[in-house]
Amino acid sequence: MIKIKDLEKYYATEDVKTIALNKLSFEVKEGEFVAVMGPSGCGKSTLLNILGLLDDPDGGSFLFNGTEVAGYNERKRANLRKHNLGFVFQSFNLIDELTVFENVELPLIYTGVKPAERKQRVEEVLEKMGIMHRRKHFPQQLSGGQQQRVAVARAVVNHPKLILADEPTGNLDSSNGNDVMDLLTELNSAGTTIIMVTHSEHDAKYSHRIIRMLDGQKVTENILSEFTH
Amino acid sequence: MIRNHIKISLRNLWKNKLLSSLNLLGLSIGIGSVLTLIFSVYAYYNADSNIENQENIYYLKTMTTGGDSYSQTPYPLLKEIVKASTEVIAATHIQGWTQPWLEYGELDFQEQTDYVEPEFFQVFSLPFKYGDPETALDKKYSIVLTNKVSLKIFGEENPVGKIISVHDTLNLTITGVLEPISPYSAFRLGVIMPTKLLEDIPSFKARANWSDSFTMNFLKLRPSTNIAQFERRINDLVETNYSNPTTIAAIKLMPFAGMRTDSIPVVDTIISGSIAASIFVLLIVLINLLNLNASTMFHRTKNIAVRKILGGTKRSVIIQFCIENGILVFASISISALLFLGILLPKLNDIYGADFGKISFTVAKDYPVILFAIGLGLLVTLVVGILPTLRFISVPISTGIKGKIDAIKRNFFVRNSFIVLQFSIAILFICVAIILNSQIGFMKNADLGFNKENVIIGNINLEYKDEVSASASFNTLLNKLEANPYVKTYSVSQAIPSDYNFNYTQFYDPETDNEIRTRYARTDQGYLKTLEIPLVMGRDFDENLDKDEDNSVIINRTAMKALGWESIEGKRLKGKESGSPDYPVIGVMEDFHYQDMQNAVEPLAHLYRERDAIASHRFLSARVEKGHEKSVQQQIATGIGNIDSRREYKQEFLTDKVSGQYRLIEGMLKTVNVVALLTIFISCLGMFGLISFMAKRRVKEIGIRKVLGAGVVKIIVLLSKDYVLLVGIAALIAFPIAWYVMNAWLAGFAYSISIKWWMFALSGLIALLITSFTVGIQAIKSATANPTKSLKTE
Repeated sequence: MIKIKDLEKYYATEDVKTIALNKLSFEVKEGEFVAVMGPSGCGKSTLLNILGLLDDPDGGSFLFNGTEVAGYNERKRANLRKHNLGFVFQSFNLIDELTVFENVELPLIYTGVKPAERKQRVEEVLEKMGIMHRRKHFPQQLSGGQQQRVAVARAVVNHPKLILADEPTGNLDSSNGNDVMDLLTELNSAGTTIIMVTHSEHDAKYSHRIIRMLDGQKVTENILSEFTH
Repeated sequence: MIRNHIKISLRNLWKNKLLSSLNLLGLSIGIGSVLTLIFSVYAYYNADSNIENQENIYYLKTMTTGGDSYSQTPYPLLKEIVKASTEVIAATHIQGWTQPWLEYGELDFQEQTDYVEPEFFQVFSLPFKYGDPETALDKKYSIVLTNKVSLKIFGEENPVGKIISVHDTLNLTITGVLEPISPYSAFRLGVIMPTKLLEDIPSFKARANWSDSFTMNFLKLRPSTNIAQFERRINDLVETNYSNPTTIAAIKLMPFAGMRTDSIPVVDTIISGSIAASIFVLLIVLINLLNLNASTMFHRTKNIAVRKILGGTKRSVIIQFCIENGILVFASISISALLFLGILLPKLNDIYGADFGKISFTVAKDYPVILFAIGLGLLVTLVVGILPTLRFISVPISTGIKGKIDAIKRNFFVRNSFIVLQFSIAILFICVAIILNSQIGFMKNADLGFNKENVIIGNINLEYKDEVSASASFNTLLNKLEANPYVKTYSVSQAIPSDYNFNYTQFYDPETDNEIRTRYARTDQGYLKTLEIPLVMGRDFDENLDKDEDNSVIINRTAMKALGWESIEGKRLKGKESGSPDYPVIGVMEDFHYQDMQNAVEPLAHLYRERDAIASHRFLSARVEKGHEKSVQQQIATGIGNIDSRREYKQEFLTDKVSGQYRLIEGMLKTVNVVALLTIFISCLGMFGLISFMAKRRVKEIGIRKVLGAGVVKIIVLLSKDYVLLVGIAALIAFPIAWYVMNAWLAGFAYSISIKWWMFALSGLIALLITSFTVGIQAIKSATANPTKSLKTE
């Protein structure tokens, strides 16, 4: 599903040029659950931004479902994003002015789904995440665990092929964290590809494979469980 | 989608309650005043819009070799022009002569009366409510009424065909009623009658010569007319026909559209000032919105990034902002409409109504103003919705999602420039207000060359029904005044300082042939004594010496200078008309300001007239002992009240009459004061919003600083010093502009103050104080907050 080769990314300030990604290459198959680990500043987030089509690489190739997307402009990227990708963030990134229901509904509005269908799909996913009873609340009124459930609900409501999770349990206590990881595993079992950046060895164990990074490069790769297509 | 946007907008506005209400307040007041100013400008420019082909209508203006100009010419000129040219489509005089008392049934009334040619309504296509403009004035004994007069006399009834009688002798048939005329029109019409009526009056015939200029002339010319050539032809006619052509430099064709500003020069200042003020107020309001919007944007970078990740487009983000601002702007417009109709328009009418008439707002007539307001609202919405968004929308998603705002730091420069611009405008208005104030104070308190204190002025121009008995009763009153120990001196005259008619005449010195154009008025022997105007040489009028000599003249110093005289020994003046008598010059009075201080003292001649000729005088003035004004006023009022007259007697103090001359400029001052207050107030609203926002953003910084030992004062200084500095810079920008503008304006006054440094210092100080106060409130609040609490907040 994803194939990157010699991916490069630099950040330049006035006098220092920092290499964030240094000729990074790997592949992720459809249905796989991959964890990316490494110390702060190793390039994990940069990688996730590029995989999520939020940022452009400075060099190398990025094939998404066999199509080269490295040179895409913002409009093409946005289009690809809204139909194929779901995001889960450490800090949830819910919109404060919207209720739980409205937050989850938002991606459907952007992809032009009709109101009746939207309602049905949002309720379905809220039910599944166990937060239906909170649908009229605003994010500030929820606990962290509940907020992340809403975020996951929002990420999956559009049935994305790939979910990108950036330390999804970073702001949660262990019990809530486990709940979220169970949710992700469940989604993965249902066929959704997941790439997750994490600091937590515990969380990483939920994945099929761990890619360890240092200074913008892949150092090792541990296969935890055999992924069969 | 739109519903979603509106919902979020409302929640956002509610969430930022402080900013939203500051915005709402600033916008409502700002737009309300802009609406008022724009409406008055609109009403002004639109007042004569129903007159077609205005660009082809001209009036004649006389320029004298002495540098004067006036809009009157001798009466026969127009006829000669029409005779000598093919370009004239229609031409008419407009002149007042007498304002006769009109009678209809039991009603006795007097209105502004203008005498015009039958072609008047071909020159000016004023719409008729009743009657036919083509033929309305064809017959000699006809009269056309304005709507106002018609309503007053006949109500809603159509009065065409009814008879109005004049002085119990003439019967005039009503041939038309005009549609309502805007109070801002160039015309102040009451009733209109044909000039032919005047030609029966001997005193008119005597002055309808080639030397007396008293009539205004209007010409509608073919569009193809070569104006320069046409003017030359008029001036040829002047050359051949005028009895004193050497005093005339030129007759000019002036466009009718410019006539109003020509007749009241302050109007120009008021109109351009209103437009400038509207633009400035709008600018300040706009900057407030932009700044306050931009400041909330910091919160929103993350929000925008999330939306973009979820598939939101730039367009949808911009639409969201536009809707949010649109709600605010149009809510403000609704509030400002109420402000405009309920408070500001009535206030405007209070200020200018006396000079220009009161204007009113009706949807049917003034819908363009509503369209303007809506258009303005849309424009403001788009500008404040799009501009700040553009800066933030281009922030990369990967940066925005972290809520990083470093990328937007450069914005501070833009924002600071905006603040400087706002405060420059505010300080500019404060400067203008201060200088305007000083000039008015100067004019009101200047040494006028006469003593205006403790002088009662009675208006005795009352249309007495029986002049002989009136004169007798008046004499009785004067004798009583003579005997009243509290009346020091008194006088009866045709003019009074601040109210000298535009009566000009041409005199020449038969010895040297030197000519002067001078104002003249008739007074009695008490005038100079009552007003305490010093006599420079010669003698004052004397009842016994001048009684049979109707032509004794006292001139002012300026007139003597203009004639090139050193002394008046044996001097006399002669009028330009043939058979003019000699006018022996018996005295020279010191120059005094008989007009307002905007104008320099012009040559003036007083001619003697005995005081009991009540019907030919206009004023009775009495200098009274301080503290006895009331009793003397009562005595005069009773005396005059006993005389049978058509008008009501009114009296006032000379001081009030003199200050009354500056009513219009004082009106301007009031407007400027309001605008100055407004600009500083709205600017401060914006600054208050900004600083409370910045303080919120710096809560953590303030907390850390306090933990590290910074005192409250230090924190206050930290938060305020930038803003105070910005206001300082704004002052430095505003001062030279204010100096330049006000110097140019003061140049229009013959007597003006010089601009002093303290005026700038004062305005800077006012701005600084208000700003410090605004900033201080918020700074103190932040500085005194508990640091442990604020550190947790982040």
